Amino acid sequence: MQDYLMTLLGGLAITLQLTAFSLLLGVLMAAGMTWVLERRIPVATQLVQLWVLVFTGTPLLIQIFLIYYGPGQFEWLKAGPLWPLLKQPWFCAVLALGFNTATYSTRLYKGALDAIPAGEVEACRALGFSAGQTLWMKTRHAARRLVPAYSNEVILVLKGSSLASTITIMDIMGLAQRLNAQTYDTLAVFTVAGALYLTMNGLLTIGFRWCERRALAFQS
Amino acid sequence: MLSLLLDAAWMTLGLALASLVGGMALALAFSAAELSKQRALVWPVATLTTLIRGLPELLVVLFIYFGSTQVLFLITGEYVEFSPFACGVLALSLLFASYATQTLRAALNAVPAGQRLAAQALGLGKGHTFFRIVLPQAWRHALPGLGNQWLVLLKDTALVSLIGVNEMMRQAQMASASTYEPFTWYAAAALIYLAISLVSEFGLKQAARYTRRYGG
Repeated sequence: MQDYLMTLLGGLAITLQLTAFSLLLGVLMAAGMTWVLERRIPVATQLVQLWVLVFTGTPLLIQIFLIYYGPGQFEWLKAGPLWPLLKQPWFCAVLALGFNTATYSTRLYKGALDAIPAGEVEACRALGFSAGQTLWMKTRHAARRLVPAYSNEVILVLKGSSLASTITIMDIMGLAQRLNAQTYDTLAVFTVAGALYLTMNGLLTIGFRWCERRALAFQS
Repeated sequence: MLSLLLDAAWMTLGLALASLVGGMALALAFSAAELSKQRALVWPVATLTTLIRGLPELLVVLFIYFGSTQVLFLITGEYVEFSPFACGVLALSLLFASYATQTLRAALNAVPAGQRLAAQALGLGKGHTFFRIVLPQAWRHALPGLGNQWLVLLKDTALVSLIGVNEMMRQAQMASASTYEPFTWYAAAALIYLAISLVSEFGLKQAARYTRRYGG
């Protein structure tokens, strides 16, 4: 058991890196897409809606495969300047996970903004705020309510990062699968791997609970 | 090639529907256990569903597929391989149930206690009260949540390709390996998933309207 734990801990850094970089990409993209939806920019709004439809309607696994294996079909892409990046599994995994979480985050952000009472927006208008200032006010108010929903999304990304093992990345899940193939000691290997994921998710949940209490302190 | 992919799409649907049936049965049993007054029933079920929700879906699928063989080996000393389809359905059912239990429990709690008391006052039996009085009213609250979980389940079926069930994802993998056109085949499979999701969403909207037909 202890040997297994030591081996699997070797993948911890990659799992955490994948999660962190995907979340970073996801937050940046989601902020942009929410801004487009909120300001109702023509054409861009429809494109974002189509993007959300496609990424929420298809499995993450197929998105990972499409991004990792897909470009190999096109010679012009292989000759292009992006190929050194696109042939790296790590980069593709972050891209797929990031796109995926960006889509779900966009939905969350937009939902949180829409949930702000109309009276607050009217108050902003009465005070002579510009459209940008109003959006900033809405963002700050929405952010507080967003914490519980976003913590779920972070856990989903951490769990989703295990799919990176399918494109040869040796994260915790990848190492667990290799160990399982070497030892056939499935129950022990996967129990240790599962315990690692549960610990990480538990710590994340506790951390977010703390943030939630602070962010929502104004309510109590 | 395309006809193979379409055949595999039926397999995906079959997997998803079988897991939906299994998952709903499990979820009903789990939420009944969680709502019961016996502590001995509440704790194991709550622990199991919480654990499964914290684990990566891929881990659950692989654990059940490889683990079931090992358990049987430890008990009987014989090496038996379980069918990937059955293991896939079991894993997906468990995953579905561990999320759906929460939805169902909340929905059952949302039915006013007076309804149960009224049924009791009329002398209806326990089973009758649950299936004919409480459950029909709970669906209205449960449907939006369960609908979302069905969409998640549909997408999770892709994971079962990794244990060798010949569903759409695996068919797309094989097609792209033999034609060297990975983009085309994965995109085609993705479009079929998208189509199934859209049809489901439409159906769920209709169903939601049906459950609200008496107002409210």
